[in-house]
Amino acid sequence: MHGVGDPTGDEVSMTEMTRRERIMTATRKKRADKLPFFSLWRHSQIGWAERECRNRGMGMYWQRPPYIMKMHGVKSTETQVIASGAVVLRRTYSTPVGSIYLDEKREPGVEQWKGLASWRDVSPWQTERLIKGPEDYKVLKYMVENTEYIPYYFPIEQAMDWLGDDGVVVDRLPHSPMQMLMIDWIGSEGGRFFIHHAKYPDLVEDLYRAISKSREPLYEIAAKSPAPITSCGDNIDGVLVNPKLFQKYFMPEYEKQAKVLHEHGKLMQVHMDGRVGVLKDLITKTPIDIVEGLTSPPMGDLLIGEALSLWKDKVVWTGFPGSVLILGPEAVKKHALNLLREVGSGDRLVIELCTETLLSDENLLLLTSILENADLPLTKEKIDRIERSLA
Amino acid sequence: MVRGKYLASLKESIVNLDFNAVVETAKEAMDAGVDPQIAITDGIVLGMTIIGEKYETGEYFLSELVVAGEVMKEGMKVITPYIKGGSAKKLGAVVIATVEGDNHDLGKNIVTTLLRVHGFEVVDLGTDVPTDTIINAVKKRKPDILGLSALLTVTMPKMGEAIESLKMADLREKVKVIVGGSPVTSEFAESIGADHCAANALEGVKKCMEWVTPRETR
Repeated sequence: MHGVGDPTGDEVSMTEMTRRERIMTATRKKRADKLPFFSLWRHSQIGWAERECRNRGMGMYWQRPPYIMKMHGVKSTETQVIASGAVVLRRTYSTPVGSIYLDEKREPGVEQWKGLASWRDVSPWQTERLIKGPEDYKVLKYMVENTEYIPYYFPIEQAMDWLGDDGVVVDRLPHSPMQMLMIDWIGSEGGRFFIHHAKYPDLVEDLYRAISKSREPLYEIAAKSPAPITSCGDNIDGVLVNPKLFQKYFMPEYEKQAKVLHEHGKLMQVHMDGRVGVLKDLITKTPIDIVEGLTSPPMGDLLIGEALSLWKDKVVWTGFPGSVLILGPEAVKKHALNLLREVGSGDRLVIELCTETLLSDENLLLLTSILENADLPLTKEKIDRIERSLA
Repeated sequence: MVRGKYLASLKESIVNLDFNAVVETAKEAMDAGVDPQIAITDGIVLGMTIIGEKYETGEYFLSELVVAGEVMKEGMKVITPYIKGGSAKKLGAVVIATVEGDNHDLGKNIVTTLLRVHGFEVVDLGTDVPTDTIINAVKKRKPDILGLSALLTVTMPKMGEAIESLKMADLREKVKVIVGGSPVTSEFAESIGADHCAANALEGVKKCMEWVTPRETR
């Protein structure tokens, strides 16, 4: 703990936690001094409002990969083509068993904001996926089986150095095997994944098993990285990932991953910002430590208080709903105060200001005004006081 | 096989999500001289209705809804060429689109399939559709309903832009507007002046049917 106005932290009489301590204390299921809140690096603007909010207690959260990957015997080329009347980037992978390609549409500003994002914070979109028909499976399987994962901790160490006590750095892994197929390689446009799964179950399952096997070294690599938490890379929504799929393909992979991570004292996180009500009982049975991005109604379908009651061995990092942010400050204020009122003491909870879009300065400042005063444990009196301070 | 058995088999093949069975049964039914319109309404559509009921009760999920739609299309491919004298009377016309900047189409496609099953004529403009294209389609097609979909919070304002453009073009009073997509809420729909926010595909289709069905015949 650092003393207020004492950057060395030597002053023992002061008890204010750093942003990192606050997030990690709650994440390790202990009581922090205040409700931790942070901005996700990918969606955080940079400027006076962001600086002011960080000075007033807002933490930062970075996800970075702890690995690099090499594909052996695979040649990759990129070219610009016109497909369906639009200019797209075509990436072709050539292997000894055949070639496959993907097309990617990029809006203005892609790669000029953060990561691959555009000025509007939108990532490139694949208009053609690697798997188009049954003949493409064998090529992708070859690529998967010839992918080598190599530890590379520089991005993690650099971010940890830069952030220091200002926030938390998390290992970012790719989507888990079935979600790679669902989101990345077959894709869900027009329900393509479901159709492939129904029409070619053997091909889908065979490739799933190959990906799962290829990922085993990656879990060891993540477990040994200096970051305290590993995000397994998934993006769970119960509408796409229904209970049958979750139970059959996702839970076993989480078990496998958690075993390795927990042996090294690391925490496992999964991003679940969709409507996960239909999965709530199954989630209880997973070894996941942190349900990240959980979004309350009206965007999600599970109240955060209910999730905390149900998942007693888990921590919830809740994402503030984008569909409330878009309605402006009055709606944001109302939702934030309601959220505080439904989460009991506020333990095992961390607030992510948004996990999917940029916040306006107005919303950022308002949320900070509410959360900077959310001392734990939360009580009705404290929340009423916060509400009066906003009037 | 008597007609009833073909129809039952068509229905079952949809409910069982069986691509091979629907094609085989459809061929057999057409060879046996079953009326193609009856094969559709009393076989395939009935099967889709059961799928919808199973979805609503939580027995089936989105995956089954999507696959059933595909199974249905396979069966329709066999039956449609046998229809003579034009198609059946349409219940209503819908123009549907995912708004500009948004490439998600899963929800929109399910709604489109279900609307067609229920007898709507649907013009699907696709994804990432500029507002001007939507307005031009409404002008040209004169639909009863305009459906707008978005899955990204950043693209939701495009729905409001489309409704404003309808007003500017004097079209707003001539078309019902239904919006949908995971982040789209009733509150947002109201704020942009939409007529309805679909809670899910089935509920949205029910609302569309309600709009085009005279009150006394509902």
